[in-house]
Amino acid sequence: MHPAFSVIFFTVTSGAGYGLFAITALYQALAAQQVMSPVQVLVSCAIALFLITIGLISSTFHLANPKNAWRAFSRVRTSWLAREGLLAILFYPIAAGYLYLVWQDMQGAVMNATAILAAVWAVVTIFSTGMIYACLKTIRQWNNALTPVNYIMLGVMLGSIIFVIIASIGEGMSQGVITTSAYLIAIAAVSKLVYFFWIGAPAGSTINTATSFTNNMVRLLDVGHTAGTFLTDEFGFEVARTRLLALRWMVAVFAFVVPALMVWLSLASGPVTIAYVVALLSAFGGVLTERWLFFAEARHVVNLYHGSQQC
Amino acid sequence: MKLGLVIDLDTCVGCNACAVACKQWNTSGTTGPLSDLEPYGKDPTGVWFNRIRNYEVGEYPDNKTVHFPMSCMHCEDAACVTVCPTGASYKREEDGIVLVDQDKCMGCNYCAWACPYGARELDREQGVMKKCTLCVDRIYDENLPEDERQPACVLTCPSHARYFGDFDDPNSEVSVISRERNGESLMPEMGYQPVNKYLPPRAKTKVQTYVNDTNPISKVKDWVNRLVTR
Amino acid sequence: MSATLPQFENHDQQEHKYTTCYMCACRCGIKVTLEGEEIRFIQGNKNHPINKGVLCAKGNAGIMKQNSPAKLTQPMMRKKGAERGQSDFEPVSWDVALDYLTERLAKIRKTDPKKLAFFTGRDQMQALTGFWATQFGTINWAAHGGFCSVNMAAGGLYTIGHAFWEFGDPDWEHTKYFMLWGVAEDHSSNPIKIGLEKIKRRGAKFVSINPVRTGYQAIADEWVPIKPGTDAMLALSMVHVLLKNDLFDWEFIVRYTNSPYLVLNTPGEAGDGMFYRDADDKPQAWDMEKECFVDANLADTKPALFGEYTTPEGKAVKTAFTAIAETYLSDDYAPENAAKITGVDAETIERMALEMAHVAFEETIEINCEWTDWAGRKHDKFIGRPVSMHAMRGIAAHSNGFQSCRAIHILQVLLGSVDVPGGHLAKPPFPRHVVPPIKPAKPQAAGEPLKSPPLGFPTSPEDLVIDDDGNPLRIDKAYSWEAPIANHGLMHMVITNAVNGDPYPIDTLILFMANMSWNSTMNTSNVRDMLCAKDANGDYKLPFLVVADAFHSEMTAFADLVLPDTTYLERYDTISILDRPISEPHAVCDAIRAPIVDTGRDVRSWQEVLVDLATRLDFPAFKNEDGSAKYKDYKDFIINYEKAPGMGFLAGWRGKDGDKSLRGEPNPKQWEAYVENECFFEYHLPPEHRYYRFANKGYLEFAKEAGFIGKDDPIVMELYSESLQKFRLAGQGLYDGPQPSNEFDKQRLREYFTPFPEYYKPLEQEQTSSEEYPFFAITQRPMMMYHSWDSQNAWLRQILAQNFMYMNRAKAESMGIADMSWIWLESKTGKIRVQVKLMEGVEENTLWTWNAIGKQKGAWGLKTDANEANDGFLLNHLINEHLPEKDGSRPITNSDPVTGQAAWYDLQVKVYPAQEGEVGTWPTFDAIKSLPNAKQSVDKLQYHTHEPVGLHRSLKDIIMRGDTKGSK
Ligand SMILES: Nc1nc2c(c(=O)[nH]1)N[C@H]1C(S)=C(S)[C@@H](COP(=O)(O)OP(=O)(O)OC[C@H]3O[C@@H](n4cnc5c(=O)[nH]c(N)nc54)[C@H](O)[C@@H]3O)O[C@H]1N2
Ligand SMILES: Nc1nc2c(c(=O)[nH]1)N[C@H]1C(S)=C(S)[C@@H](COP(=O)(O)OP(=O)(O)OC[C@H]3O[C@@H](n4cnc5c(=O)[nH]c(N)nc54)[C@H](O)[C@@H]3O)O[C@H]1N2
Ligand code: SF4
Ligand code: SF4
Ligand code: SF4
Ligand code: SF4
Ligand code: SF4
Ligand SMILES: [Mo]
Repeated sequence: MHPAFSVIFFTVTSGAGYGLFAITALYQALAAQQVMSPVQVLVSCAIALFLITIGLISSTFHLANPKNAWRAFSRVRTSWLAREGLLAILFYPIAAGYLYLVWQDMQGAVMNATAILAAVWAVVTIFSTGMIYACLKTIRQWNNALTPVNYIMLGVMLGSIIFVIIASIGEGMSQGVITTSAYLIAIAAVSKLVYFFWIGAPAGSTINTATSFTNNMVRLLDVGHTAGTFLTDEFGFEVARTRLLALRWMVAVFAFVVPALMVWLSLASGPVTIAYVVALLSAFGGVLTERWLFFAEARHVVNLYHGSQQC
Repeated sequence: MKLGLVIDLDTCVGCNACAVACKQWNTSGTTGPLSDLEPYGKDPTGVWFNRIRNYEVGEYPDNKTVHFPMSCMHCEDAACVTVCPTGASYKREEDGIVLVDQDKCMGCNYCAWACPYGARELDREQGVMKKCTLCVDRIYDENLPEDERQPACVLTCPSHARYFGDFDDPNSEVSVISRERNGESLMPEMGYQPVNKYLPPRAKTKVQTYVNDTNPISKVKDWVNRLVTR
Repeated sequence: MSATLPQFENHDQQEHKYTTCYMCACRCGIKVTLEGEEIRFIQGNKNHPINKGVLCAKGNAGIMKQNSPAKLTQPMMRKKGAERGQSDFEPVSWDVALDYLTERLAKIRKTDPKKLAFFTGRDQMQALTGFWATQFGTINWAAHGGFCSVNMAAGGLYTIGHAFWEFGDPDWEHTKYFMLWGVAEDHSSNPIKIGLEKIKRRGAKFVSINPVRTGYQAIADEWVPIKPGTDAMLALSMVHVLLKNDLFDWEFIVRYTNSPYLVLNTPGEAGDGMFYRDADDKPQAWDMEKECFVDANLADTKPALFGEYTTPEGKAVKTAFTAIAETYLSDDYAPENAAKITGVDAETIERMALEMAHVAFEETIEINCEWTDWAGRKHDKFIGRPVSMHAMRGIAAHSNGFQSCRAIHILQVLLGSVDVPGGHLAKPPFPRHVVPPIKPAKPQAAGEPLKSPPLGFPTSPEDLVIDDDGNPLRIDKAYSWEAPIANHGLMHMVITNAVNGDPYPIDTLILFMANMSWNSTMNTSNVRDMLCAKDANGDYKLPFLVVADAFHSEMTAFADLVLPDTTYLERYDTISILDRPISEPHAVCDAIRAPIVDTGRDVRSWQEVLVDLATRLDFPAFKNEDGSAKYKDYKDFIINYEKAPGMGFLAGWRGKDGDKSLRGEPNPKQWEAYVENECFFEYHLPPEHRYYRFANKGYLEFAKEAGFIGKDDPIVMELYSESLQKFRLAGQGLYDGPQPSNEFDKQRLREYFTPFPEYYKPLEQEQTSSEEYPFFAITQRPMMMYHSWDSQNAWLRQILAQNFMYMNRAKAESMGIADMSWIWLESKTGKIRVQVKLMEGVEENTLWTWNAIGKQKGAWGLKTDANEANDGFLLNHLINEHLPEKDGSRPITNSDPVTGQAAWYDLQVKVYPAQEGEVGTWPTFDAIKSLPNAKQSVDKLQYHTHEPVGLHRSLKDIIMRGDTKGSK
């Protein structure tokens, strides 16, 4: 699949934003003691909303006909894209409600319920972003449960690192916050690793099932057009194997190893904001690469008609 | 009704007539124009609803070339429709034709991602998704002579490799021919239930060789003249 | 349901018109829907005999041809001081252009008319251009057949009286076994496709003989990848198998061919190999009942097919078939030997022959129908041998193509499958007598018309167009010892010969519709140089070049005068029975074109220009007795010109009231009648005239009356060609008449003019080391492109804008050549760098590419970065118009030594990978200038004739519909 920057940027930033919002809200609702000051919470959520919003705006750059973008909510009955859109939009009033309560310094059941609602909503939104891709049978690399899991985990991981930074700047920093973040990094890493292994196994449609000639070698002779078409531009994207491997290593190092190291460092020698910032930058770069790979490694079955033996 | 096409891989010679007829009809059709970029320059490209690809099956000298026309299959379980967030993509209830409402499409490409058959092409000039309309603007047009109420590609095909009709009617030409010749769906494992069917190449015709019981002739002298009246 | 649909098309604003397609030479009927001045849709005319409603890719792309930015807009002359080839022109008015040309031509006509050479491409108006040349008085006229497929026409007309190409069709309705030899597309583009589907549906077997498996070959039941140039061997080896097994149609051969004729068997003596004739010059046969020599053409004799006899004069004679059978029964033609030459294994050869025999003799079909044979005998049925064949340039474009074609016809005749149900059918005006009784014209006094058309059918050395010393008189050396029966001329030699002054320099060359600086020329780079070659005085060696073209082709760039033609949708035109027929086997057909759209440019149809020039030049046939112009214009000419009383260009709606067919007085409303009848005319033959027409009394009488044949005698097929034997004798020094003096010419006559075909290696291959140049290189026509002229088509070029060199995968890999890599292809003539694609479906020793995709930069309205001009290529650079020189030979045309057919496919090459970094096509050429007032080549197109009427999905449906699966 052609990796469109607008979409990569959208999924990563909005994922991080929802992750941050969810963690912020959950900590306030579930933690035994107050972790952050209301100001910190407000700042954290504002950053989250900012990330979500620029992500969503970026996603519209991908549309060839943005003037109809408002229609994108019409088919929530069947379309994950519509669902994601609706969830994303409806998140704003929920987030606003929660922030109002924070502003009012409200405590108690209502507050906690709102926080949990916002957190769950945020996670479900990331989930539905993942489902946009996971529901496509045409792309084996996406069409599995790991896709939404990856989306959620990576969003939450990024969110947690930002959360740690915000926490470290003011009050409320604790061992627990850091270890949670460390766990999240680890889980995200594992789920991504499993994903990489999973998509490596050949499976799915072949040029034989695509052409219905199942008893023999089938090769493309001519695609029927000299230049590229919309289809070859959109789906024909291919990267050399060696480059893919190198990029996977980059993902592992920047998205997981470096952040984990930084977190481990601060666990050993006490909170160091600068280490968290390094962790964040590294993780962001790593996840952007991961998202680029997510597209670049996806082989749409239409490629079978353009000559691929298997997708 | 379940309208669709049957493509006969046994007779398609890959001439591209159907592809160009489709382009010609549809560029002024209900979802036209079908834009072309760099029509006279490097890498000319444009929107087509029907493309012909060529494959080789088997290896020399036991190889066979197969010409493979592909357009929208008007799938029964058309994920291109279910994924469309705007509702621009839809499957007509009355006849199963899958269409894109050009005024509602936002050009997100999502439906093209969902289509296994490469049947949807974004018109990059107009920003909207386009696809085979099954010539909905021909097949119902009562101002056309009845025998011309057929898709442009079907009308034009010189080697009669394309059939159009209603698969819900068990006696229609398309139903009968796909039954008799084991019409196949492409990538059935995708579960889209494509309506269009592909007729596999017929079994090779075998002809007997003349069995001769006379001795082979080796010299002209071996022949005995026959009395034939001129 | 339709009630819920909007009215998509505004039918009130639409108009339908009919005409004839000309995106290629197949000439299908089209129905054009117009919306105002714009074309909404071009579709096949379902009533039309040729295409029956279907249309090919090219035909469907007519809109983009009409919209081409390469259309010429006005007459132009090369700018003073500008060089040829640069496309640097000055617009001039038609008056200026035609005045100038008239003056120049009048001078030539008065002094030495052959200094005008007039050569025309794949036009369908040879009857008109040939007539024009005849009236002008130049023998230097021909159409494109010499570089196209004259071998097929000549091979057929010298054997069975009709031919492949456009002159015959398989009986698609009845055939049970169809063998296709070397055809990728042919002129019968749509009919072949329609036919193939019919036979596949019926379960007939389809065998394809072709080194490449694409297109038609893809759907064949059996593909036989033959080595190029060896088809005669394959066909004759199958003949061997049939003879060996005594499997041939004895009656058919005795009755309808010259096989029982007696041939003098007097080697080394004058007259050897000629028919034994009586005092009245009648060829003789041996009557087995009467046991005596009889007139071989008499009815009711019982001629011996085999046998050797002695004549009363004491000469040894044998039947022609004896000679034929002796040769083909020899081991030379045994499948085991043929396998070595053709690459087709012996079992396959034998099996195919026996399969055909089975179908011909065990699956015979009979059509009950009373008919009368030439001798007046009644028959109650037509017996059919349902084996049919079709062949074209894979056979024709080799220097042994004439004899290969004859070999295939002989195979057909042995199977008894010529013009019988299920066999190979003639299309009227064919069959004609073998050989058609028209001789090529010889020069006349200046200012006089020729006595006959420039092209004809020589049957003996006396018919050659040579001077007393035996030197060629025609500029293309047609009908000289170099190409004695060059029935279509040698268009591919004209530029070379004229520039070399060999046999003489000319003054003016008119090229109509031929892209001879590019794809219809051998050794393209050389020819382009020659067109610009100057003599010591700095004058062009080819002094004046007129190009009548419709588009900005590579050729126009070299013109001194460009006469811009109309497009096919803009002009009146006739597709005449006097010309290349569009008849069907069972119907006599012709057609017209009538303008569908206005030109909107200052262009004139070439037809119109020719009639105008003829009038200006005072051609006798274009003048009344009082000296006034006889014809107002082209339309008037077509209506009123009569070749013979009642016979004109158009066969339909003749007679004053338009109620006569084929023959009748001129009808002033003839054009209107055609337009009203969808622009074609179809005369169905009655059932009793549909088969065995060579011997069918009713048909022969009808054909004579219609003017197709001059006499209603039966048409005797010539398995044994006495005409060829005469030339051969001339080569042996045994001919009582003109003989060549040069040993080299003699040797060619001896070797290649065998009276019945024998396999010989194509000439270039004979003279090229197979070790050094181990591969054959050939081209194929792509179905969606017509020669060079469809690259201007915005739709078609999206399908094919770059060609590749295709090569057998296993072979290439064994040589370290990778898919899509760049390779060098080198012949004795030159080399090219091209991109290679590997495939399964090509014979191991063959490389091939699509023809005429490469373009010169700047031509055809394409931008200079167009794929065609940068990555596409021509194979032509490697092909030489002369054969590699042999000791003692002069430069000799790279053509069939019998007919002069250009030997495009004899090419042998070597192949090796390009160096690192060597990418892109080589050679390429500088861009030619765009023309004054040329339409801009846009960056994007959004062709449509009206605002689309959209089909909308209601908001309610969008919101409410749950499951989107399935349908009601
Ligand atoms: N679409 C389209 N149609 C056309 C034209 C066009 O340019 N485009 N051109 C028109 C013209 S002018 C002509 S002359 C006709 C020609 O029509 P075709 O006769 O079909 O011409 P080619 O494309 O040259 O095809 C020759 C075939 O012979 C095969 N071949 C080559 N060498 C040999 C051989 O030695 N033996 C055998 N058995 N096969 C061999 C080649 O692989 C190829 O398939 O087409 C006409 N129709
Ligand atoms: N390597 C290789 N070379 C070949 C062949 C091959 O198989 N291989 N095939 C050979 C054969 S068989 C042929 S027939 C030749 C064909 O070669 P050409 O006869 O040169 O064919 P085109 O390239 O179509 O060029 C014809 C010219 O006619 C012009 N034209 C088109 N329409 C009109 C019109 O309506 N009016 C006028 N006045 N002009 C028009 C075009 O613009 C073009 O310049 O090529 C030969 N060359
Ligand atoms: S072929 Fe593709 S576009 Fe057509 S209905 Fe099926 S999924 Fe949709
Ligand atoms: S591109 Fe248009 S039709 Fe396709 S999913 Fe998006 S909005 Fe729907
Ligand atoms: S049915 Fe109509 S729209 Fe669809 S491929 Fe055929 S011509 Fe094109
Ligand atoms: S028009 Fe017919 S034969 Fe030609 S490519 Fe299309 S389906 Fe095949
Ligand atoms: S075969 Fe095609 S291009 Fe040629 S005349 Fe027929 S429709 Fe036109
Ligand atoms: Mo040709």
